[in-house]
Amino acid sequence: MLQVNHLTRRYGDATALDDVSFEVRPGRMTGFVGANGAGKTTTMRIIVGVLAPTSGTVTWGGEELTTEQRRRFGYMPEERGLYPKMRLRDQLTFFGRLHGMTATQAHARATDLLTRLGLGERIDDVLETLSLGNQQRVQVAAALVHHPTALILDEPFSGLDPLAVDTMVELLSSELSPDLPVLFSSHQLELVERLCDDLVILSGGRVVAAGPVEALRDQEAPRYRVVVAEGGVEQLRSAGLTLLSTNGSEAVVEGNGQPADQLLDAVRRAAPVSEFSRVVRPLSQIYRDVIA
Amino acid sequence: MSTTTQTAAPGRGSGSAGSSTPVWRVVAEREVTTRVRDKTFLAATGVSLLLVVGFFVVMLLLGGGADEYDVAVTSDADETVLATAQEVMRESGSPDAELNAEVVDDADAAEQLVRDGDVDVALLPADGGYTLVGDDEIDAGLAAGLSSAVASQALQDNAEEQGVDLAALSEGTEVQQRLLDPNADEADARSGVAFAFALVFLLTAMGFGMTIAQSVAQEKESRVVEILAAAVPVRALLWGKVVGNTVLAMGQILLITVVGVLGLVATGRTDFLSGISGAVVAYVVFFLLGFVALAALWSVAGALASRQEDLSSTTLPGQMLLFLPYFIGAFGSDDVRTVVSMLPIVSTMLMPGRMAEGDVPWWQIGVAVAVTVAAMVLFIRIGARMYERTLLRTGGKIGWGEALKASD
Repeated sequence: MLQVNHLTRRYGDATALDDVSFEVRPGRMTGFVGANGAGKTTTMRIIVGVLAPTSGTVTWGGEELTTEQRRRFGYMPEERGLYPKMRLRDQLTFFGRLHGMTATQAHARATDLLTRLGLGERIDDVLETLSLGNQQRVQVAAALVHHPTALILDEPFSGLDPLAVDTMVELLSSELSPDLPVLFSSHQLELVERLCDDLVILSGGRVVAAGPVEALRDQEAPRYRVVVAEGGVEQLRSAGLTLLSTNGSEAVVEGNGQPADQLLDAVRRAAPVSEFSRVVRPLSQIYRDVIA
Repeated sequence: MSTTTQTAAPGRGSGSAGSSTPVWRVVAEREVTTRVRDKTFLAATGVSLLLVVGFFVVMLLLGGGADEYDVAVTSDADETVLATAQEVMRESGSPDAELNAEVVDDADAAEQLVRDGDVDVALLPADGGYTLVGDDEIDAGLAAGLSSAVASQALQDNAEEQGVDLAALSEGTEVQQRLLDPNADEADARSGVAFAFALVFLLTAMGFGMTIAQSVAQEKESRVVEILAAAVPVRALLWGKVVGNTVLAMGQILLITVVGVLGLVATGRTDFLSGISGAVVAYVVFFLLGFVALAALWSVAGALASRQEDLSSTTLPGQMLLFLPYFIGAFGSDDVRTVVSMLPIVSTMLMPGRMAEGDVPWWQIGVAVAVTVAAMVLFIRIGARMYERTLLRTGGKIGWGEALKASD
């Protein structure tokens, strides 16, 4: 397990990170969200070791992360970068070897990854001749080439069209293993919602929420959407139910700690019901709530 | 996002478990393979080699053939005249003279050979002696040698015929030659070698220095440096660059040296070669030390730049370090040269040259090596620290002073 403990980073008087702690659990995707300048990139750079924290530690299995362990991580920086004039396979082989693979292993793995990314034909082409989308695929491959022990992806999907996102997600999922912790930052909340098991929300250099997505959703009392017969909404109100919002014959009812079936009974007693369902808060809602 | 970043984990390059290659070697290999695939680099190497080869070809055409003559004769008996003439010429100022006889049937055939340029002259029997036939000119030394040989041959024959003791007759007629400065020619050649040493180092160190700086700046510009720095210690990257480019530069310099030595052998200058062989070996050693000392600084020059365009100003100190000694070497007085030839970088340009030009006291060579090694260690340590501090800083050029003062 990858743990970030009380990370603080200051630039002169400005504090970019303020006592940031969270964990990235193996076999789970952890989404890392926050506004621009919230400190996501700073945190990730500290995790991979290109930036030193002012204070705090990054631990791996409880022990402080060593250079050798970091070498096994896969990292996709926010500012993309590869060698523009290097051939694709040579490039990935080079990165594989930097991360500790033998030349033969790295060569085979590079060939396999590029083929799976649909770049098999272009294996000996120079990177800069590829379209931006394809360059991005190679960038992801560079983070995956050495079978990393952890993945740190800074905005891996930004600038990709929906189809390219699907290819990338497919590739990532195929590389996931029960031992692999993945941390990825994104502005695209619906994407994070689709992919993530855990969530860390950063605001102004501080963690404002962290944990499994389900748990974050459940922090608030459950809400239910009901559709009742004409004029039924008023009857719900007079029956003493807490209505959070209404719209014609539709209302969102707060559960107030009652189990769903009891609440449904209460609603039924007040008015004829045609629909009754739990409201799942979208991630964007949770995000707005914790940032506010 | 702020752009002031440093590496968190300095430390030595390391090989992980298994048989994977150490990081610095992987980086060095990439430097070398990228370079040897680069057509501009190959072309430049080819041009330098052609220049060296061309130099010797010209030497061969101009000088090498001058002492070797082909002479057409019409009878085997005349070959002895040639042998005598060769003897005479070797004793009088052309120690390497060599005369080859081309025996033909008659005078017409001999003249044809002269006309075709196959032989230098034809030595043809004529009334009262011989005629020396040339195409449009006759080499003076050759003419003198042959005339003298013909004359002595005739004298000998006549003396025998007349029953005269030739030895007694020619008593006291011999004129010997002695030169006060017999090695003047060679001294020029040795200064030429010294000049070539300095020039080749200047050009190679400058060329590869810029290559190192560009290669670092490119990694910053393309932002690939962030992945590199995340994967491996920054210091290992620096070592890889220094080693890779040193291997390339040494490869190039050895290639040029080998071609040069072969050229000397081919042009028959083996005596000259053995005279400067010590200097040539010293040159290769000093080249290595001087190059490595500078390589770390060139890497820093690359790390200080944010874009390729910044390189012209960040590499200025490196260029000065090369040009100043070059000019001191070219224009300094002997005393100045002696002193500065023991300083780092300058030693590479001047010390082997001084060794080629004449004897240099051993202690001076020792001091030069020791000082250069010390400077190399110092430059690499300072360079590595500056490289670590500046490599990940983007957004504008960084000054040398600022980088020296920068803290972690």
